[in-house]
Amino acid sequence: MNTATGIIKALNSGIKHLAIKRFTLRYPEEKLKFVGDGYQFDPSTGVGIAGYKGRHMLFHDHCTGCQLCSIACEGVAEAIAMVKVPEEHKHNKKAIMPQIDYGKCVFCGLCVDACPFYALYMTNDYELSSFSKEGLIYTPAQLQVKPFVSQDSEIKITDRGATHG
Amino acid sequence: MTNELPPGLALQKVDERIMTLNVGPQHPGSGHMRIIVQIDGDFIVACDPDPGYVHRGEEKMAEYRNYITNIPHLERPVIHDSCNILYPYVLGVEELLGIEVPERAKYIRVIASELNRCVYTMYWLAIYGIFLGHSTMFMWPAGDRELLIDLLEKMTGARVTHAHFVPGGVRNDLPPNFEDVCLRQVNYFEKRIKEYAAIFYDNPILIARTANTGILSREDAIRLGTTGSVLRASGVDYDLRKKEPYDVYEELDFQTNVLKEGDSYARSKIPWLDMMESCRIIRHALQKMPKSGSVRVKLKPNPKGKGLDSVYKRVESGRGSLGCYIVSDGKPEPYRVKLSVGSFRNLIALPYLLKGEKLGNMPAVYWSLNYWPVEADR
Repeated sequence: MNTATGIIKALNSGIKHLAIKRFTLRYPEEKLKFVGDGYQFDPSTGVGIAGYKGRHMLFHDHCTGCQLCSIACEGVAEAIAMVKVPEEHKHNKKAIMPQIDYGKCVFCGLCVDACPFYALYMTNDYELSSFSKEGLIYTPAQLQVKPFVSQDSEIKITDRGATHG
Repeated sequence: MTNELPPGLALQKVDERIMTLNVGPQHPGSGHMRIIVQIDGDFIVACDPDPGYVHRGEEKMAEYRNYITNIPHLERPVIHDSCNILYPYVLGVEELLGIEVPERAKYIRVIASELNRCVYTMYWLAIYGIFLGHSTMFMWPAGDRELLIDLLEKMTGARVTHAHFVPGGVRNDLPPNFEDVCLRQVNYFEKRIKEYAAIFYDNPILIARTANTGILSREDAIRLGTTGSVLRASGVDYDLRKKEPYDVYEELDFQTNVLKEGDSYARSKIPWLDMMESCRIIRHALQKMPKSGSVRVKLKPNPKGKGLDSVYKRVESGRGSLGCYIVSDGKPEPYRVKLSVGSFRNLIALPYLLKGEKLGNMPAVYWSLNYWPVEADR
């Protein structure tokens, strides 16, 4: 192939893209959809359930204050601290629950794998920015709240190219 | 006591024709490293790569953590190829602890590591494109990479640092309906990367820029101990997936790509051809994978090795052979973890390739080595 045809072919393959749909995801307006409600773990089988590893969710009625999540985080990020909670549960005599510092968390999900009581899950929420370092520390009461997410964009593949529909 | 300075600090004789240039560590074209080049006019006389600016002490850190908590930090050197850098570690720990991995988990690992290889290669290709002044080749791979990142996100739950492989299998099973989505996106991805031929690989401007620059002969490639795409671009057919098959690679149908030229163009073309083979591997693995079954062996909370023992495992990563040597002394923590990475071994070839080249050709030669500074420094 000589130089002229090569350059024309290269230009042509770029120009063809004028007629192809835009692939870019317009992030704040559109958000990617994930499978499921987030990464969960089934201690009876020892296998996780696929999902996005985002902010945690803590179920106060399951948590016994056994500190296994905190022990699992030792040597990874040391983001989990056990703190006193005001409410009384008869399965949680010490009344301690995990408090997670998202300034340190690496979202590996090993704490979820460690929990034998189905008390700690991960959710699809990943927008955790804050103006202060203290704002990144989530108390057990904050972790109890189910996040509101509106994520509905998926990759669609048509004859005119792929797009985030 | 003498006043002699150590060799690195000793003053050198100044030749008025030779100028010393420090390219990096802040220079965008060098990555997180410094290349000390001595130039005579426009031609490079000598070159001395100086890595080590992003050393994180991963190997030492691994001695203080147990076999499971080592996983999140050991994948940090190459976050784009995090499944492949964990692969030899996980295979080694499995041999130390004597774990048999379920069949389905092996296929999931192969699919994840092939997807990850493509994600890494696309990122590298984007950088290679922009340093040759080809902005389109920066935008296209960066966009098409999203197709595979989306698949990995569905599989593992994270976009880059997956922490998906564990000794004994993988963390979670595939999501429902994954096979169809994977097949559709991988087929489209393959169609897209074939379009790169016209705009980049068959482009006469690119060929004029990279062909016959930085030639590494077959003998030199073997003598310097290069691996991966650099070795295969010099005409040596050596791919660990074929030569030392791990997990289920021997049951899968693929071939290795070898080019004889050994110049920058061949070195940049091999990863692109490998991505097409990766697509074939993924399709074949999806077809042969057992449709159901266990994906993870249940381990004891703090698994221990059986007394004094050592193991060396290696896999073919996006940058070549990636080895992991683990010594266990019967404690929950490994006694020593040594990573032998492809990036560092390929960097050794750089002074030989750059000698006699023009300074303007330096990015074309340097990035064609498929070098990732953070991995080389570990």
